[in-house]
Amino acid sequence: MITLQGVSVEYANGVRALNDVSLEICKGDFAFIVGSTGSGKSTLLRLLYREMLPSKGRVIVEGEDVTALKASQVPYLRRKLGIVFQDFKLLPQKNLWENLAFALRVIGAQPKEIHRRIGDVLTMVGLTHRSDSFPHQMSGGEQQRAAIARALVNNPMVLIADEPTGNLDPDTSWEIMQLLEQINVRGATVLVATHDSQIVDRMKKRVIQLDGGCLVRDESKGTYQHCES
Amino acid sequence: MGAVWCATRVKGRISTVSLSNIEFLIQEAFTGIRRNGLMAFASISTIALSLGILGSFVLIALGANHFAASQIGKFQIGVYMVNGATDKKAETVAEKIRKMSGVASVELRSREKEWATFKRQRPDIESSGLPINPLPYAMDVKISDASRTAAIANKIRAIRGIDTVREGRDELSRVMALARVVRGVSIVGVLVLLVTAIFIISNAIKLTLYARRREIRIMKLVGATNWFIRIPLVIEGIVFGSVGAFIAWALLRVGGTYITRAIHGITPFLSDFSSDVRPSQLALVLVVLGAVIGAAGSFVSIRRFLHD
Repeated sequence: MITLQGVSVEYANGVRALNDVSLEICKGDFAFIVGSTGSGKSTLLRLLYREMLPSKGRVIVEGEDVTALKASQVPYLRRKLGIVFQDFKLLPQKNLWENLAFALRVIGAQPKEIHRRIGDVLTMVGLTHRSDSFPHQMSGGEQQRAAIARALVNNPMVLIADEPTGNLDPDTSWEIMQLLEQINVRGATVLVATHDSQIVDRMKKRVIQLDGGCLVRDESKGTYQHCES
Repeated sequence: MGAVWCATRVKGRISTVSLSNIEFLIQEAFTGIRRNGLMAFASISTIALSLGILGSFVLIALGANHFAASQIGKFQIGVYMVNGATDKKAETVAEKIRKMSGVASVELRSREKEWATFKRQRPDIESSGLPINPLPYAMDVKISDASRTAAIANKIRAIRGIDTVREGRDELSRVMALARVVRGVSIVGVLVLLVTAIFIISNAIKLTLYARRREIRIMKLVGATNWFIRIPLVIEGIVFGSVGAFIAWALLRVGGTYITRAIHGITPFLSDFSSDVRPSQLALVLVVLGAVIGAAGSFVSIRRFLHD
């Protein structure tokens, strides 16, 4: 489902963000990507949704070589993915309902379908009562749940989350993780970059560790502790 | 653009931009304007001001050109016949001149009337006891194209029975040179102001887009195509441009009427200073110009943010 083959990323200033990384993530997996700041976690995720291109190697998502995509095809790749960010990235001038509707409009969904899907996804993340609220009127946890709702509303096969709990307190973080697990149980592949050790230890999922751009550990049912050693 | 509206082919699939999506994109544009009210206000007022300045210069330039043209139009050739010419001879000559190409009209002056006026102005002449009217037959020849004045004057000179032909060459050439300067300055001024207006307006639009660059990035991340992001923003540009232009027109209309009335009141000499532009024409030109600059400004500026 997601394959990285000998992927290296080198920035113009000579910094190597990723160094010959190869890995495979199967359909329905739940994996954490861990590592300290600057280890290359975010870079790896950005390659998957073609926010950037590798200097070397191939990135394959859903059988499609992402590195070979034309710029005009990138939007169609992103529609197959749900992406969640640390800073939520909700459209500030739109309320929650409109934020979700926008993601559906983009794929050409019809109004009836839009109403149905938004209703379902808001129930799932527990934000039915917040549909008229603008992002700035919601708490951090609510905004992250809203961002997850937007990522889910298109029924993506892969959910990518970059530090989804970075701005949240431990209780809220745990709620968000529960939500991501629930999404995984329903069949989506979930990939979470984090350096929240408590969460990783508690979840006991596959752990992929990066250090200085190199893949140093790939362990099923791993913990954060091991990677410190 | 048409092809993108209809269908975008992606790896063998065709995703259609449906009618409801077009409706949605237009709705998006107006929601965008409403929710970014302050930026919309800033853009519209900038556009109104720059188009107002451009429009007022155009009106002044048209007025100045009209004024210069009307002054040239007032020039005429004075033709004086030899002493002792008869009524009949004068009529024949007048008719001959009338038939020349480039001559708009010929007016034969009345010797008696002029003599009476002359005597009234100079009572000393009357008392000196001049018994008969010494004035020659004279006529005023109006020329349809001022640039042919000299040629026509020469042709008239060749007619027998003509004593003097006064074409006011120096004055005419001075006024014509002035008219040329006025026209040149107007054209250069309008072009400079037009370029400035385009620059200011596209900058104003670029600023509104800059303020929304995060929004544009998010839209890209949720899989919106460039066209899906671009269309509402271009519609916003068109609305900003045409509303700004309409405000500029209203200001010009109110200000123009007031100023023209004031000028005519002070110096009737400047009564030829009018632009002959109908308000509806001016409104149409300004609104179309505003809309085009708005659309083009948005279109060009978005490209930068889409490719970031």
